[in-house]
Amino acid sequence: MNNDLKQVRNIGISAHIDSGKTTLTERILFYTQKIHSIHEVRGKDGVGATMDSMELEKERGITIQSAATYCSWDNFDINIIDTPGHVDFTIEVERALRVLDGAVLILCSVGGVQSQSITVNRQMTRYKVPRIAFINKCDRTGANPYRVTQQIRDKLALNAVMLQLPIGLENDLKGVVDLVTMKAVYFEGEQGETLRYDDIPADLQDDADEKREELLDTLSMFSDELMEIMLEEGEPSEELLHDAIRKGTLALELAPVLIGSAYKNKGVQKLLDAVTQYLPCPTDIENTALDLDKEEVELTVSNDPEDPLVALAFKLEDGRYGQLTYIRTYQGTIRKGDSIINTRTGKKVKVGRLVRMHSDQMEEIDQAGSGDIIALFGVDCASGDTFCDDTINLSMSSMHVPSPVISLAITPVDNKAQANMSKALNRFVKEDPTFKNYVDSETGETIISGMGELHLEVYIERMKREYKAEVEVGAPRVAYREAITTRAEFNYTHKKQTGGSGQFGRVAGFIEPLEEGEYEFVDAIVGGSIPREFISSCDKGFTKSLEKGTLTGSPITGVKLTINDGSSHAVDSSDVAFQLAAQGAFREGYAKASPVIMEPIMKVAVEGPSEFQGAAMGSINQRRGVIVGTVEEGNYTVVEAEVPLSEMFGYSTTLRSLTQGKAEFTMEFDSYKQVPKSVSEELIKAYEEERKNK
Amino acid sequence: MGYEPIVNQNPLRVLKAGLDNTKQMGLVMARAGLGKTALLVQISLDSILRGERVIHVSIGESIEKTRSWYDDILQSIIKDSNLSKPQELIDTVKSHRVIMTFKESSFNRPKLEERLNDLIIQDIFRPNCLVLDGFDFNAASRQDLVEISELATAMDLEIWFSAVSHRDDDRVSESGVPAPCHEVEDLFDTVVLLKPEKDAIKLDILKNSGTAGNDSQGLSLDPSTMMINRD
Repeated sequence: MNNDLKQVRNIGISAHIDSGKTTLTERILFYTQKIHSIHEVRGKDGVGATMDSMELEKERGITIQSAATYCSWDNFDINIIDTPGHVDFTIEVERALRVLDGAVLILCSVGGVQSQSITVNRQMTRYKVPRIAFINKCDRTGANPYRVTQQIRDKLALNAVMLQLPIGLENDLKGVVDLVTMKAVYFEGEQGETLRYDDIPADLQDDADEKREELLDTLSMFSDELMEIMLEEGEPSEELLHDAIRKGTLALELAPVLIGSAYKNKGVQKLLDAVTQYLPCPTDIENTALDLDKEEVELTVSNDPEDPLVALAFKLEDGRYGQLTYIRTYQGTIRKGDSIINTRTGKKVKVGRLVRMHSDQMEEIDQAGSGDIIALFGVDCASGDTFCDDTINLSMSSMHVPSPVISLAITPVDNKAQANMSKALNRFVKEDPTFKNYVDSETGETIISGMGELHLEVYIERMKREYKAEVEVGAPRVAYREAITTRAEFNYTHKKQTGGSGQFGRVAGFIEPLEEGEYEFVDAIVGGSIPREFISSCDKGFTKSLEKGTLTGSPITGVKLTINDGSSHAVDSSDVAFQLAAQGAFREGYAKASPVIMEPIMKVAVEGPSEFQGAAMGSINQRRGVIVGTVEEGNYTVVEAEVPLSEMFGYSTTLRSLTQGKAEFTMEFDSYKQVPKSVSEELIKAYEEERKNK
Repeated sequence: MGYEPIVNQNPLRVLKAGLDNTKQMGLVMARAGLGKTALLVQISLDSILRGERVIHVSIGESIEKTRSWYDDILQSIIKDSNLSKPQELIDTVKSHRVIMTFKESSFNRPKLEERLNDLIIQDIFRPNCLVLDGFDFNAASRQDLVEISELATAMDLEIWFSAVSHRDDDRVSESGVPAPCHEVEDLFDTVVLLKPEKDAIKLDILKNSGTAGNDSQGLSLDPSTMMINRD
């Protein structure tokens, strides 16, 4: 590993599903001599790509977890995080983006900017990640990198500028014209490992001159020197152009576009050059942490390896030898044998083994300086935790974690499976903050919840394969919530005086909707009508009541509870009595506060040929969806809509049959909304039936 | 829908649009960047508050950008009107509006008709008003406009266009409608011209529901909020 941070790149590779991320990563590892043979994602040799280390990923041909890997190119050390493309796993993408300094956005030269690319791009903008674009699959029929570049400008609002032109397209793809050096580059040898530079083919010369002119025009915005040279009609040096591209990219004002085909071994080495030339090193990026000792004041981490350690655990994995924790260091140096502190729990942990990861192989190291991405063994923590040395107490700013929208019941088939299932669940919860589980106190079933059907399916498969936990799976259920719509008063007395010591407590006040937040408790008791020691009992009782609403048994959110009166008994009042009184008071107030059921609404984008737009809109309409808008682009259209999650089960099958498999859709959580009356009545009825049958 | 107070106080009432059942064709003109889209969005929201459904066609603009215009202007309306349930209005707007975006090169009348029919025939969305923002009057012929106007009549739609005028093009019609619309003004019932003045952008109403005139009637756009005001 390089001690000079200027020679380090921490990059992510993000894109729409199936645009070839894993294949590209595979090629990068091959050219940087990290692996010695190339395996295709769905290759016939059955080995699968190196980055897809989980069995399931190999089988499905999709990347689920972002495996971190390390390689070096031209004296630069590059840490690559391969991020998943499916929206159900966006927490993985977001987490990866948090620790990256730069990213490569891969786009398919045929499909162009698809909905997931838009989501990923939005996430990159949120985390201020400088990016370069790679238009992949230029060997495919219908490839058109020019159109895709225009889409990057239109749909992603990036200042995209092509640094290369293709030499031939589709089956004829031979190489690229480098507009910075004005040379043709061919990728020769069995696996494209030999680069041959030549003159630009005569038939492309005019195009190349024109595009070069455009490039210089755009770049002159980022370099006064370049502007001057252009005004004097001089010829700028390559170095000057590289500097201008880098400056624009780091300022998030320019997105250089490279092209190629990873599958056909074309353009990958030039992409690696671009990564080292244009993407930032750790010191180019300002990262902030919250000082837990000073009321979470935000401060900038130094990147200095001599300063006290600050490191973020961004991903956990269960390896053969125990828990593997991926961390990114932001300042200081982490050494084998060091004692470090988890600032969330305050616990001290000892750094045992320190490794640098290459997909599922690893290299033991003794220390890692600031700006590095490495993994620790056997450290107990959750992802998102911050580690510091004992002189400081910082937390890297918290990440945006969406709440789960779908749940299903799982039942282990036997006792052995039961034990394995608990192990698996413990692990998954630590790995993935969007995955939750709990035991339903009434049915005794274990309920798991997450961000989508596929998200949960993957965990169930992992349980079976990695933990040998066979479970029976119930039908997916939407995570409904309950909320109130008006203010209501309560005044409830809990009294029990049948033998032994009695119970007494009276709680009065009001309940009202809370615009922001889930729950707020206000103590407005004056004159001690409820003794001080029982105030927290009331809070506890209310909190307990929020777990299950009376309409559908769903959790209640967005409630403010104020207590302003009550009474107690010198002997019979107790913690339990006031908890029960608060629960009774809640029931009374809740019933009067016009409770409603809320359901998760998903942002859905259906993309496909224009001829199917009518069918797509019809199918959304039938699903209680609201059409937000349509985008028309030549013969391709996108329908954007908001649809209740409960209506989206089985939609992929419907859409496939409606459009002969030519349209696809993506969805992500948008917000919770009140369900319409007719649906609400059905849900309430179903819940009553369910309760009766217990 | 219970939004009558907002509707009645809207300075847009000066324009006779929406008062009777005749569907008119309107035009908002200005030089680039003066607030054509802001005004069109206010006209659209006014229709929605009157219980109508609007299709907002954005040519050369993204859904997100168009939507954020609506969000911003809706927030201003909510702020000014002290509504007790603002979320209800936000939801109403969502369900009464569909945004259609087209690339400049891919917009034409047959395509628009096809898209509208996708919605109407399946009874997904029945619009009463069509907003056409970004229509290229320089590239369009009189016949193109006539055809769109006929389409609107056949579908019983009120329709509002925006057009960009240029400082260096001084062609102007008799009633003051600048190029590139000076030769097609007769097709429009209402024509509003936005003119920058010292601290506001004045609305010059060149034609109001078929009646000629050249009076702002005190209407202007506040340059900071882009909201329409009446002196």
